[in-house]
Amino acid sequence: MAERSIKTPEDTARELYEQAESQTAKALEELVSKPSFGVMFAQVAENVAAMARISTSVADMLVRNLRIAGRADITKLARQLHRTEDKLERVLQEVEELRDELTAERVRAPGSARNGSRSEEPAAGDVPAGADDRPASR
Amino acid sequence: MSALGRVVRTPIAALEYANLKLTTADAVIGATPREVVWTHRGVTLWRYRSNDRSRAVPVLLVFALINRPDIFDLRPGGSLVEYLLREGFDVFLLDWGVPGEEDADTGLEEYVCDELHWGVRETLRASGADEVTLLGWCMGATLCAMYCGLDRQGESRMTRAPRDPARPDPARLDAERAARASPVRNLVLLTMPIDGRCSVYAKWTDNEAFDPDHMAELWGSLPGWGVDFANKMLKPVTNFWTTNRKLWESVQEGTVKREAQQSMAKWVADNPPFPGKAFAQWLNWMYRDDALITGRVILRGRRVKLGLIDQNLLVVTAQTDHIAPRVGTMPIFDLVGSEDVTHLDRPGGHIGLIAGSKAKHEIWPDLAAWMAERSDR
Repeated sequence: MAERSIKTPEDTARELYEQAESQTAKALEELVSKPSFGVMFAQVAENVAAMARISTSVADMLVRNLRIAGRADITKLARQLHRTEDKLERVLQEVEELRDELTAERVRAPGSARNGSRSEEPAAGDVPAGADDRPASR
Repeated sequence: MSALGRVVRTPIAALEYANLKLTTADAVIGATPREVVWTHRGVTLWRYRSNDRSRAVPVLLVFALINRPDIFDLRPGGSLVEYLLREGFDVFLLDWGVPGEEDADTGLEEYVCDELHWGVRETLRASGADEVTLLGWCMGATLCAMYCGLDRQGESRMTRAPRDPARPDPARLDAERAARASPVRNLVLLTMPIDGRCSVYAKWTDNEAFDPDHMAELWGSLPGWGVDFANKMLKPVTNFWTTNRKLWESVQEGTVKREAQQSMAKWVADNPPFPGKAFAQWLNWMYRDDALITGRVILRGRRVKLGLIDQNLLVVTAQTDHIAPRVGTMPIFDLVGSEDVTHLDRPGGHIGLIAGSKAKHEIWPDLAAWMAERSDR
């Protein structure tokens, strides 16, 4: 006969607690999935954002009145740096593509010479297609 | 353990519990050796070191904007990156970085058309490969899907949208596909939201009181803790109470897995800000307008048509995912143009499915096998 496990009062209490916790969890999940909770959540978030903005604006004003660069100044500067970096990235990509094209053309040149066109010696230091001589990272 | 034993152990357990909580920040995550390949603004492309790169197609990992991508490489012995390297893949990771206030005007078009596009470009250049496997997770998967579905002909600027954009004309799509050569051979989408209508987020955001654009304007960049708090509010008791109670119990019983617990806790608590413009676009497109599945997302004048996705496609859904419920992923199968489509639907949650303790034996081998079959020269 299979031995029946005997529940101690502690086990029963634990079971009851876990049941209560799981029911509370379900109830709260149902509560937060209501659109009205969304409205409340949105208003709280808006209020917190407004408070944060007021406090940072006041702090920023104090700092700037001391002739020290404030948060807004640093953000503005960072944005300018980003714009410069964007342009630099695009220029770098153009350069890389042009270099790839040039390399491919130089490699093609001896082949076309074999086909009867005027021979062109590859310049010293030419790189075969696919070889990557750029820096390890940029 | 008996009741008396538990009482006796309580002071020691309390000390250990406090120690676990207080030293979480010291846990080592993202430890696999790697090198920087490319950087732009705060974005970094990493390449993991390996002496066994036997697969021809490199893998580019892309994670969400609202958490750090260290989840791919959580801890030694529990790292997807480590596993993929062992399987012979050349693994790259696109790390979105930690946006600041100056990034408030960075939108999804910058992430998809610039950072992701350039990340793919640099992956190809660094690996010397012609094609790449894109593996996106959560919001990262949605960004990858947008990238692969981007109409590179720029037609949407010139022509009107199809009458039913969700089901575009197949003949026209074939012509568009033929006209573009995508460097992405395989697309792996893990627990990806594309249709948010069924989620709690939609109930929160689809009301007049909540204006994502106004919220973005107020906040600039949404603070990470705010986004994390909102996510945790989806299951408040579980996230704020049950997790801690269970940790306490495992400490008291002496069964706590310290490294696993701390690394996950550290990752969960590390929430970068969400750039305001991207935040507003994400909420509007995913939860208010259904813009992505109805083909109304336009990035830099180019329409995102999920029907243009023609890569070998693997979609993974988690059965108890409350962040990106599987029902919100399923429409992808009616929209994509891929011929090779695989769907894995497994028990688990949004993150636990891929990063949980069972993932190493249950899902990673399947992911690696699927990619390996499609990564030959």
